[in-house]
Amino acid sequence: MQTGARRDATDVSLLQILLLFTGVGLRSFGGGLSAWIYREVVARRGWLKDSEFLGALTLGQILPGSNVVNLSIYVGYRTKGAIGGVVAVSSLLVPPMVMIVMVATVFHQLAQLVWLHRFLEGVAAAAIGMTASVGFRTARALLAEQRWPLLLIVAVFVAVGVMRLPLVPVAIVAGAVGLIIASRRG
Amino acid sequence: MRDNVYLQLITVFVPISLLSLGGGQRIVTDINQQAVAIHGWVTQADFVDLFAISKAAPGPGTLLTTLIGWKASGWPGAVVASLALFVPSSVLTYGATLAWARHDQHAWHRTAARGLAPVATGLILASAFSVLRLSSATWMVWGLAAIALVVFVARPKMNPLTVLFAAGLLYAGLGVMF
Repeated sequence: MQTGARRDATDVSLLQILLLFTGVGLRSFGGGLSAWIYREVVARRGWLKDSEFLGALTLGQILPGSNVVNLSIYVGYRTKGAIGGVVAVSSLLVPPMVMIVMVATVFHQLAQLVWLHRFLEGVAAAAIGMTASVGFRTARALLAEQRWPLLLIVAVFVAVGVMRLPLVPVAIVAGAVGLIIASRRG
Repeated sequence: MRDNVYLQLITVFVPISLLSLGGGQRIVTDINQQAVAIHGWVTQADFVDLFAISKAAPGPGTLLTTLIGWKASGWPGAVVASLALFVPSSVLTYGATLAWARHDQHAWHRTAARGLAPVATGLILASAFSVLRLSSATWMVWGLAAIALVVFVARPKMNPLTVLFAAGLLYAGLGVMF
């Protein structure tokens, strides 16, 4: 059996994958999905290690398509092979799809409610904080082992966040630099 | 030409699926142009509403595509547009995942993951910062995001929904007072 599924995570069942991604899909109000996936997959269940999760996230950003969808394919595949990938993506997308269309049908009634706008803006602001907290947490985990990643973290943050350079070329260049440094340091 | 609408959805969203790299704002701009100016599936005012819904509702922001398909042709349109957006890029990613994971026994695989990890961390922080900068954010929104950040860092085990809803209630409450 030369599959790439993690041998130490084969006790993960399809039902667990389904429940996890359905939960993420239906609770991620205001965004912050990669933070939700990090919390559920890495922090709470330990299905992936920090560095593997982050490596997959980088690949997901460089490849076409939604980065959280790409990340879900990776997590599903690593835990339960091809079927795991399909279950992860379907569970992440289908329930919120049904929900979002139902929201759209009643949107004009909801749009009158000023407090609801404010409520959702507040939720979105907290979701930004949640995303940032994953950045801080993973930065701390990486820097606990080695110092050099700090340079790359700051460079990518400044290039994409502050200078607003296009994400994919920055990720490819920074990824290449990271690969070179990591291979020299061993 | 009503029976062509599915074909149109496919010809619009398959290229977006495969070519819109880096996600985010670029994808939204492309979808906006196609859905409003080129195909007239929705008006610009509708588009703004649908975009707001896709940002606030749970699930990835790219579910905007589902809503455009639904406006264009009901539930079948929603399904066709979603499949057209998500399947091609997912097949590609699956192939890349297979290639990447096949070598997980080699030492270089772990080295590669270590080399890429700082990039993802920088991108996560950048995405949080960019959203704040884009969202015509008031100082109160920045403050709320900062408080949430502190709470999430200090209490990683806490249920995120509690924090999200508390922030929503707080911001709605402040809106009543000011």
